[in-house]
Amino acid sequence: MPIVSAFLVPGSPLPMLKPDNPPWRELVAAYGEAGELLAASEPDVIAIYSTQWMAVLDELWQTRPHLVGEHVDENWHEYGVMPFDMHIDTELTAACIERTNEFGIRSKGVDYDQFPVDSGTITASHFLNPQGRLPLVIAANNLYHDGAVTERLAATVRQQADALDRRVALVGVGGLSGTIFRDDIDPGDDHLASPADDEENRRMLELMTAADAAALRAALPAYAQAAKADMGFKHMSWLLGGLGDGYESARVLGYGPTWGAGSAVVAFTP
Amino acid sequence: MSKGEILAGYLAPHPPHLVYGENPPQNEPRSEGGWEQLRWAYERARKTLDDLKPDVLLVHSPHWITQVGHHFLGVPQLSGKSVDPIFPNLFRYSFELDVDVELAEACCAEASKEGLVAKMMRNPKFRVDYGTITTLHMMRPQWDIPVVGISANNSPYYLQMEEGLEEMDRLGKATRRAIERTGRRAVLLASNTLCHYHFSAEPKIPEDMSREHPQNYEGYKWDMRIIEMLRRGETDEVFRVLPRFIEESFAEIKSGAFTWMFAAMGYPRIPGELHGYGTVIGTGNAVMEWNLANHPVQLEVRDRPTAA
Ligand SMILES: [Fe+2]
Repeated sequence: MPIVSAFLVPGSPLPMLKPDNPPWRELVAAYGEAGELLAASEPDVIAIYSTQWMAVLDELWQTRPHLVGEHVDENWHEYGVMPFDMHIDTELTAACIERTNEFGIRSKGVDYDQFPVDSGTITASHFLNPQGRLPLVIAANNLYHDGAVTERLAATVRQQADALDRRVALVGVGGLSGTIFRDDIDPGDDHLASPADDEENRRMLELMTAADAAALRAALPAYAQAAKADMGFKHMSWLLGGLGDGYESARVLGYGPTWGAGSAVVAFTP
Repeated sequence: MSKGEILAGYLAPHPPHLVYGENPPQNEPRSEGGWEQLRWAYERARKTLDDLKPDVLLVHSPHWITQVGHHFLGVPQLSGKSVDPIFPNLFRYSFELDVDVELAEACCAEASKEGLVAKMMRNPKFRVDYGTITTLHMMRPQWDIPVVGISANNSPYYLQMEEGLEEMDRLGKATRRAIERTGRRAVLLASNTLCHYHFSAEPKIPEDMSREHPQNYEGYKWDMRIIEMLRRGETDEVFRVLPRFIEESFAEIKSGAFTWMFAAMGYPRIPGELHGYGTVIGTGNAVMEWNLANHPVQLEVRDRPTAA
């Protein structure tokens, strides 16, 4: 079984940049717990899809063997730098690229010094993969792909990991409800932008824990629209595509606001 | 200190392909050329900019996206390597630029007075976006004029388009007041593509111009209609049809730079000088200039003409 664990995690860099801010502490703790669960599942590789790595032409995959540097978020620059140090599983990535090209989704590797790694990927690997211990597969969010194509990409990772005998922790990086506060708030007072968003998010999280993959999949488009979910909630499609026919259980490790938007850490047991 | 003024505004789009086609030493990848019509358009714009001898270039870029507020570069010197996340094969550019922090702070303060959320970007490790870099390189490859870089709050995407454009109008007015107050002789650069329908694949040789043409005929016709109006100085008419143009041609102008620039200039009804038009991976790009110094008579500051 190549997928040994799966996690939905927030892409907002705020929990990484200001972990002590009270409204974000629950997410920070949950991110920490997810890191422990991930390690306990003993994966060989972490396969990350982050809504914030946007591609337009081809499906892009990170192929630079070692990515190291300091990132500054384009919006949250005032909160400091985000150091990163990541290794890529280039063999598994190459296999994924080749496979999707065979079934008509053009894929391309990116192997460039200083290529801008996105805040979501950096935040997820900061919490889930401290010291960059495990190698990664990182796939971009092509804006023209829908949920179904995104599922196929993750299924490709599962199949190729199977062929290469890799154990994979699957990670979908992105937010829940997408409405943020557009003005300056006191970070200590952060809360969901509206009770309606909060309700939508809670209903979606309940659906995840019910562990009925088909019902969850069917509910995604309506939720994405009602909650203005981050990038159509395609990071959930990534997880469903990788998990295949279904999963055994899911647990919400944490839920909270990130500048009004909804964020959650959810652990799925395949 | 004498009152500052806006000398000119340029529509100065930022396809990184233009830098790639030119092969400047700062850019890593090498090309066989390509997109000459647009690069020659920029050559003309470089000459007129040189004649203006401005103190500062202000650029609004859609590829520095800030969800919370309008941000201004606020570090005196910024450098690094800018790699385009969409076209990393074409654009890996080592840059070094000087920021006019005093003017940036004045713009930020005036924007706040307009009721906008405005912030200074003070992080010295910040990486300037490729839209800003490309526009600045194409206009002034010498990099010897200080700049003010302004982010896209993308309010026209986030809010209703009309509300968003109204915010950009206020940002433009704030920018004008800041320029006047600080005594700067300034040039504005709106880093925007027109019709933004594009091909979904690159040719094997990206600069193979036998493959370059408008992706969308309706979008092309819209571009020609808008350019024709701009060339005739029909500013009111342009702003009346702008929301429709944006919707129907998927124009990048939606991100606000064009409205910001016209608001700052006071929506002058003067003919824009078209330096050239061309497509890049199917999108429509015009390099145009509004030289205010050449048209002092028409220069009453006007409010934004709207569809209503
Ligand atoms: Fe652009």
